[in-house]
Amino acid sequence: MSGYYRTNYLEDVALLDTRAQKAWFALFIVLLLAVPFAVGPLWLDLANQILLGSIGAVALMLLTGFAGQISLGHAGLLAAGAFTTGILFKELAAPFWVTLPASAAVGAALGLVFGLPSLRLRGLYLAVSTLALHFIVIHAGAEYETKRGYSTGILVDSPLTDARHWYFALLAASTLTILFSLNLLRSRTGRAWRAIHGREAVAEALGISVQRAKLSAFVISSALTAVAGCLFAYFRGFVSVEAFSLYLTIQYVAMIIVGGMGSILGAVLGTIFVVLFPHAIDALMAASGLGERLSSVVFAVNYAAFGLVMIFFLVLEPQGLVGIWRRVRDWFLLWPFKQR
Amino acid sequence: MKKLVSILALALPLAAAQAQDAYVIGVSGAMTGPVASNYAPVVEAMKAYLEHLNGRGGINGRPVRVIVLDDQAQPSRAATNAKQLLAQDKVLILLNASLSSTYAPMVAESKRANVPLYFAGAVCPKETYPPADPLQFCSTAFGANLDSQAALAFIRKNSKADVKLGLAAMAIPIARAEIDYAEGLSKTMGMTPVEKQISPPPAPDYTPFATKLNDAKPNWVWSWSPWVAQVRTFEAMRRLGWQGSYLTWAHLNAEEELARIKDPSFYVIGTNAMLEDNLPVHAQVRAVAAKANLPHPVSYLTEGFVAGMVLEQVLKNTPWPPTPQKALAAMNQVKVDLKGLRGGPLEWTKDNHFRTRQYYRVWHWDPKASRVARAQDWQAIDVKR
Amino acid sequence: MQLATNILVLASIYALICCGYVLIYRVSRVLSLAHGELMMLGAYGLYATASLFSGHPLVAIGTSLALAAAVGVAVYLALMWRMTGESVLAAVLATIALGILLRGAMILVFGTQTQHPLRELGWQNASLAIGAARISAVGLVLVLSTALVYGGLFAFLRLSRWGIRMRAAGQHPLLAAQRGIGLHGIYALAWGLATLTGGLAGMLIASDAGLESTLVVIGLKAFPAALVGGLDSLVGALLGSLIIASAEVLLIHYVDPLLSEVVPFVVLLVMLIVRPWGLLGSREELDRV
Repeated sequence: MSGYYRTNYLEDVALLDTRAQKAWFALFIVLLLAVPFAVGPLWLDLANQILLGSIGAVALMLLTGFAGQISLGHAGLLAAGAFTTGILFKELAAPFWVTLPASAAVGAALGLVFGLPSLRLRGLYLAVSTLALHFIVIHAGAEYETKRGYSTGILVDSPLTDARHWYFALLAASTLTILFSLNLLRSRTGRAWRAIHGREAVAEALGISVQRAKLSAFVISSALTAVAGCLFAYFRGFVSVEAFSLYLTIQYVAMIIVGGMGSILGAVLGTIFVVLFPHAIDALMAASGLGERLSSVVFAVNYAAFGLVMIFFLVLEPQGLVGIWRRVRDWFLLWPFKQR
Repeated sequence: MKKLVSILALALPLAAAQAQDAYVIGVSGAMTGPVASNYAPVVEAMKAYLEHLNGRGGINGRPVRVIVLDDQAQPSRAATNAKQLLAQDKVLILLNASLSSTYAPMVAESKRANVPLYFAGAVCPKETYPPADPLQFCSTAFGANLDSQAALAFIRKNSKADVKLGLAAMAIPIARAEIDYAEGLSKTMGMTPVEKQISPPPAPDYTPFATKLNDAKPNWVWSWSPWVAQVRTFEAMRRLGWQGSYLTWAHLNAEEELARIKDPSFYVIGTNAMLEDNLPVHAQVRAVAAKANLPHPVSYLTEGFVAGMVLEQVLKNTPWPPTPQKALAAMNQVKVDLKGLRGGPLEWTKDNHFRTRQYYRVWHWDPKASRVARAQDWQAIDVKR
Repeated sequence: MQLATNILVLASIYALICCGYVLIYRVSRVLSLAHGELMMLGAYGLYATASLFSGHPLVAIGTSLALAAAVGVAVYLALMWRMTGESVLAAVLATIALGILLRGAMILVFGTQTQHPLRELGWQNASLAIGAARISAVGLVLVLSTALVYGGLFAFLRLSRWGIRMRAAGQHPLLAAQRGIGLHGIYALAWGLATLTGGLAGMLIASDAGLESTLVVIGLKAFPAALVGGLDSLVGALLGSLIIASAEVLLIHYVDPLLSEVVPFVVLLVMLIVRPWGLLGSREELDRV
């Protein structure tokens, strides 16, 4: 025991205990808020992408990292949120505070419809079911685009245009999502998820309804993802089926693998990694002078390197970036004693 | 991570520093990735042509610098590329040679920076047709609705009997919209559309769609889609024993494919001249491609060359020192002599950023001469409001 | 009659792809989501050997088949072996990662242009008549190969020693291992066979239609067929393929061609609700908790 005791319920549910933690956190917040004034437009755009991606990544982490269910329909859910926003905008000129909850509702409904059949069972049936979700949603989206004449996509008027405003909006959204998830995980639902991830039979024996827990994980995750999709639509100002491919799903899966399963921090770290990775490869190639010669194969190098990195993390570093972070942190904490 | 930041920090200011004494243009294109084979040849041909000009003294005595960024057909990368090209490299003209899903972010960026956006490789957005959006321009060959008008005109002229028209497209919104338009148009031209088949992109076998088309017994079929859907529908129909004529859009690889398929009733309609024309400009294309060591077949390079020639003319009319506004003024009234690569000159006006006239030719394979032959020479269609 | 032929060809495509999914799932309970990329690798293999051995098409085909099997075994030994014993989630994610790696590597080596392996082999895809219907030569070869492959697999699994070992390992790995069956060898064999059949499917589809990136998505489209029949039953895979193919072709012909994209997945969903273990799958593994 380190000497920090919790003496009342309020302290028990607090996320930060010690004064040192609170001080570091305050510094972190100040740095975050200073970002849009300190960096150029390129990095600001990357920061915005990271914040937006983190919402989807946290949603997927809840489902796969904590409740242990594989979903391959992430792009479909993002598309559902984005298209709900686009359709409501075009048909009813709906404002932002209508489309956001509507997207969440659509996401939750899809989660219910596609989750019910597959979550009664053990195994990988959710993965299969969500694959069906992906194709069906994309098909519906393409039908809408064609039937209403938006063959190059649906243009959406965004309430925010300045990148700095977007930064703060996305920062708020991301923070809310993370807080929501952290609290959810510490609640009864979250504990039920951890139990079913561990051993389903034991969880059932303890009185946790496994089916309900899995379903709640999928519905909540889908609602969050659809909200991310809605924000996507406003951020880009544009919705079209081509933007939601299976590769997008794989990128999100990579975010949680690389970040480290079973950790919200992992979701954020994974997002940072996946968003910056292609730019890092480009910079590396440019700096090493191979840029010009290999410019036509940069994509392939990116792709292959991406797959390689995922495999590396799965096989050698299953705890992901979070695992590395924890090792580094523990090394500092225990210094000068050696970590065993 | 630190090393990475330092590498990036080194690379970026270096790039910006060299922009001062040249005409700088920036391209965001799908250079790699699954759809790259349609866009990369365009960008590389254009770049090769401009490099070739640099070798001969440049434009107005100054070199042209082309910065190409790969967006892999992803909208978020296109947005990042646009931001970088506009803010960091301060380009005069922003170019897009990528999938239509990258348009909106680039349009937004170009509007914010008030820099003209030129679509050089992908389908022209409606905003470039008259009345044109002030900042959007397009030189790409295909034109929505115009292509079907020209195609159906060709079919009516060359059909000996009443036309029973079959229509085929891939299940992407753009192609479907075009084929729906063609269906309506065909009725007003006295043709009978007998069947319309929309095939989803990853179809393992096109025979079921071809069967349905074949059962309706069309004597002509018009198809406007990515090449794979067009050609596979045709091949499946032939295997079912269909004997009619098939007209389809000439993509970059059309000339090559005509030689592979060798079917005299397989027609392609397009606006870019083919190598079979053997014009002096084709020798120039070959020379430039050889010098730049381009990995693509020469028949794929016409579109990019056209873009290069348009840029050459625009930049010639942009007085030094250049600004995006001066470039925009030049683009708003330019007439480019394409030396036969298209049926006539490409002309932009303040109102029309597509072109004032679109010229079409039709080709097919001539089995007797064993070469690609013209089925119809240049036919012009005026582009009006 | 033509409709029946179309259904048969489409069902053969799906069945040939499915037996890869079924083999791997049956033996190791892993969903191989890299199957589409392995199919494409097989097709590129044919393209490469056809260019290499131009003039000797049969040698090219034989070599590419052998290569495909070797690649399957190599994939197991290099990667999936480390995932045995880990959670199934991790193994599936590993196959996804492998798929991406393979896709990138293939673009690096071969580029993105559409290739035509059949042309390299020097053969034509002629159209043949069967009664009132027409079928392409490649289509006929597809149907015949599917029949051969399935016949061979049934014989192998039922009659040969290694086949019986495979079935044992699939049923109860722990007991099989204690009985002395080398699980790693079995799994490697399963991966080799799956990649061989997948590669064959890829080669045939590429011969018919040309080699390009949509081949991978076709691998995914075959998934519902495997599931409808039962993920661990080969007969089920055949049955599932027939059902899905019939649904697709009949819908294209009588209703709306666009539905053919979505229908396999709708059928899949219906199966999941009604009978999740598929028509002929084994029930025990999928029992509720």
